[in-house]
Amino acid sequence: MSRAETVRRNARWALAQLVDASVAERLVIALAALVASLLLGGAIVLAAGHNPVTVVLFLIYGAIGTPGQVAFTLRKATMLVLAGVAVAIAFRANVFNIGVQGQLVVGGFATAMTILWLAPYLPAGGLAGLVLVACGLVAGVGGGAAYAALPGAMKAYADANEVVTTIMLNFIATGVLFVLVDGPLKDPEAAAPKTLNFPDYAGFPSLLGVSDSFSLVGLAIALAAVVVVYVVMTTTRFGYDLRTTGYQAAASAYSGVDPERTVVSTMVASGMVAGLAGAVYVVMVVGYFQDPGVFPTFGFDGIAVSLLAANNPLGAVPAGLLFGALSSGRQFVDVNLDVPKELIDGIVGLIVLFVATPELFRHLGRRAGLGGGEGPAGEEGEAVADGGEPVAGPADGDESDGEPGPRTADGDEPPDPDGPTRSDGGEPA
Amino acid sequence: MSLVGVGAGRRLTVAAVGAIVAVALVGALFPDSIAGQLATTGTFERALRLSAPITLAAIGGLYAEKSGVFNIGLEGFLIFGAFTAAAVSWAVAGGEAISQADLWVSVLSAVAFCAALAAVFATFAIRYEANQIVAGLAIWFLGLGFAPFAAIVLWGRVNSPPLNSIDEVVVPLLADVPVVGPVFFAASPLVMLSGLVVLAAYVVLYYTRFGYWVQAAGENPEALDTAGVDVNRVRYAAVILSGALCGLGGASLSVGFSEGFVGRGVTMVNGRGWIAITAYLFGNYNPAGTFAASLLFGGVDALQIQLQTVGISIPNRLAGLFPYVAVLVVLVLVGNTRMPSAAGDPYRTEDD
Repeated sequence: MSRAETVRRNARWALAQLVDASVAERLVIALAALVASLLLGGAIVLAAGHNPVTVVLFLIYGAIGTPGQVAFTLRKATMLVLAGVAVAIAFRANVFNIGVQGQLVVGGFATAMTILWLAPYLPAGGLAGLVLVACGLVAGVGGGAAYAALPGAMKAYADANEVVTTIMLNFIATGVLFVLVDGPLKDPEAAAPKTLNFPDYAGFPSLLGVSDSFSLVGLAIALAAVVVVYVVMTTTRFGYDLRTTGYQAAASAYSGVDPERTVVSTMVASGMVAGLAGAVYVVMVVGYFQDPGVFPTFGFDGIAVSLLAANNPLGAVPAGLLFGALSSGRQFVDVNLDVPKELIDGIVGLIVLFVATPELFRHLGRRAGLGGGEGPAGEEGEAVADGGEPVAGPADGDESDGEPGPRTADGDEPPDPDGPTRSDGGEPA
Repeated sequence: MSLVGVGAGRRLTVAAVGAIVAVALVGALFPDSIAGQLATTGTFERALRLSAPITLAAIGGLYAEKSGVFNIGLEGFLIFGAFTAAAVSWAVAGGEAISQADLWVSVLSAVAFCAALAAVFATFAIRYEANQIVAGLAIWFLGLGFAPFAAIVLWGRVNSPPLNSIDEVVVPLLADVPVVGPVFFAASPLVMLSGLVVLAAYVVLYYTRFGYWVQAAGENPEALDTAGVDVNRVRYAAVILSGALCGLGGASLSVGFSEGFVGRGVTMVNGRGWIAITAYLFGNYNPAGTFAASLLFGGVDALQIQLQTVGISIPNRLAGLFPYVAVLVVLVLVGNTRMPSAAGDPYRTEDD
C-alpha cells in the first residue's frame, strides 16, 4: 500500500464520519468548534492580561461597526470565499491541496503581468479597462491552474505526497516572484518591491463609493464562482467523479474513473479558483503586484473556511463571511486594544483542530446526555456567527493597501489610520 | 510497486551520500578547485548544524508514523520549541546576562512543553480519532499564530531581542582526529546530541522490545493487541516522543545555533518541519537513512551559503530555495515508499 493511498484512506474514513452525520449535526459540530476555539482563545487573552469580553466587543465593532469596516469585512470575505472554494474542491476529492496560497500568488502575478503588458497596446479608456481586466482574470485562472497541475501530476504519476509538494511550491513561488518583483520587474520609483501600477481604468468599478479596494463586482465574481463550482460538482460527470473518488477511490476506479486523471483535473480545478482569487486580489485590492511574502495568507485561511463549511462550496459563503469579519475585527483590536492580531491566527488554528475532531463533540454531547452528538453550547455559537452578517452601505472610510508590512500573515494591511479607526473607549484591562 | 519504490529510494540515498563524499574527496585532494572551495570543513560543520533540527524532527515523525499516527504537525512543534526555548532563557535570566545553565534549562523546557503539546495532539488523534492530516495542519497554524502572539506579549514584537547561544564544546583527544575530529567533536553539543539521537533511535527501533512494539502498532496492531500490549499506549508514547524531539530541534534553532527567536513571516523554522517529513520518507523510515537524507538537505542549504561566500552570484532568495527544490526532486523520484500498513487508522480494541 502506498503512502498516498493510505493517506487517502485515512481521510476518507474521517470524511465518511462527516457524511454519516446529518446536516444538522454538522452545523452543530461547526458551531461547537467555533465556541470551543473562542473560549480557549478567551482564556489565552485573559492570561495575556486583557479582558476577553472587551476584546470580543471590539472584534464585532471592528468587523461591522461602520460602513467602512463592513466594506473591509466584505473585501476579506470575497477573498476568503474564493480561497475556501478552491480548497473545498480539492479536499472534497481527498486531495490535500495546501498550495492554494502559492497558486493564488502565481495567479495574481499572471494577472498583473497580462494587464501591464497589454496596457500600452490599447487606447486608454473604459473599454480598454474592461478588456484588460477580462484578459487579466483569464490569465490569473490559467496561472493558478498551471501551478496546481504540477503537484497534481507529481501526485498522480509519481505518488509524491501533495501536502509536502504544495507547501514546497508555496515557498518556491514566493521566493522566485520576490526576486522578479525586486529585480527586473520592479517599479523604479518605489522603495518596496512592487511592479508598476495598473492604469487607473483597469480595475473594478467601486459601485458603492465606500472604498477603492472593495467592489461589489469582486464579491459578485466570488459568489458566481461558488454557484458554478456547486453546479459542476453536483450535476456534471466530472463533479460526480470528483466526489466519488473522494468517498470511495477503489469503487470509483472500478466503475471506470481514471484515478490519475481525476487527481490532476481536481488540482487544476482547485488551482483555477485559487488563481481567480489572486486575480481578484491584485485587480480589486492593490492595483499592482507586490512582494508575495507580504500577501495576506488567504490560501491558508481558506483551509479553515473550507473545513468549517464541511468542504461544501455553498457553505464557504457564511464561513468566508465569518472569517472575513474575524480578519477585519482583529485589525481593529490590534490597533485599539494592543491585543496582537496574531491571536486570531491562533484561534483559526484552534478552529481547524476542533473541526477535524467531530468525535470530541459527539463524546461531549453523549456525556451531557444530549444524544445525537449535540455540541455543548450551540446558541453561543450562533451569536458569534452573527458577526459575519453582511450589511452593505455607503461610508467615507477607506483602507490603504500595499505597504509591505512586517508580517506575511497580513502584510497588506498595516494598521492604517483611515480604516479601522482608533476609538476612545479602549480600556486596557 | 512498493518494492520498486524501496529499491529506488535506497539507490537514491546511496547516490546522494556518494555525491557528498565525492565532492568532499575532490575538495580534499584539490583544495584550489571549485569543489575545494565549496567543500571546506566549514561547509560540513554548517551542513551538520543546518541538518540537526531536520534530523531531530524527522526521527520524531518517523517514530510517530511507524507507530501508526501521522504527525504532519512537525513544523508547528518546531515553532513552539524554538519560541519556548527563547522565552524561557530570557525569563530565567530575568534581565541579567543569559548563562549557559539558563540556556540548558530553556532547552529542557522546550522539550517538556512540546512533549505536553504532543500529548494533547495524541489525545485528539488517538482518543478522539481526529483526521490526522487536518489536525497536524492545525498544529502548524497554532504555531504560526500563538508563537508570534506570545512574542509580542513578552517583547512587544514578533522577534525576540538578541539572546545568547549554547557554546561549542571540544571533546579532548577525539577533536584531534584529522577531518572528522573538528567536524564532529569540536562542535555544538546539539549537533552531537542529534547524532546520539539517531544512534539511539536506530538501536531502539530495531533491537529493543519497545521498538518492536512501535513497529507492530503501525504494521499489525491486532497482533500486538493479541500479544497483550496496549496499542494506543505505544502510539501515545511515540507521538509524545516526536513532540519532545521537535522541542529539542526547535530549541537548537533559537538558542543552539542562533541567538533568539524570529517570528516574522513563516518564523525561523521556515519549512524545516516539512523538509523533515520528506527526510524520513526519503530515508525509508530507517533512522540511519533519515539522517543521511537530513544531511543532504542541510548540505544543500550549506552549499548555497558557501556558493555565495565563494562569490558565485545567485540572488540570495533564489539560492535559499535550493532545499525546497531538492525536496520536490526527491519526492518525485522516491514517491512510492512502503509506509506502515495501519498508519492513519485509529485502533479500537474488541473489548471497548
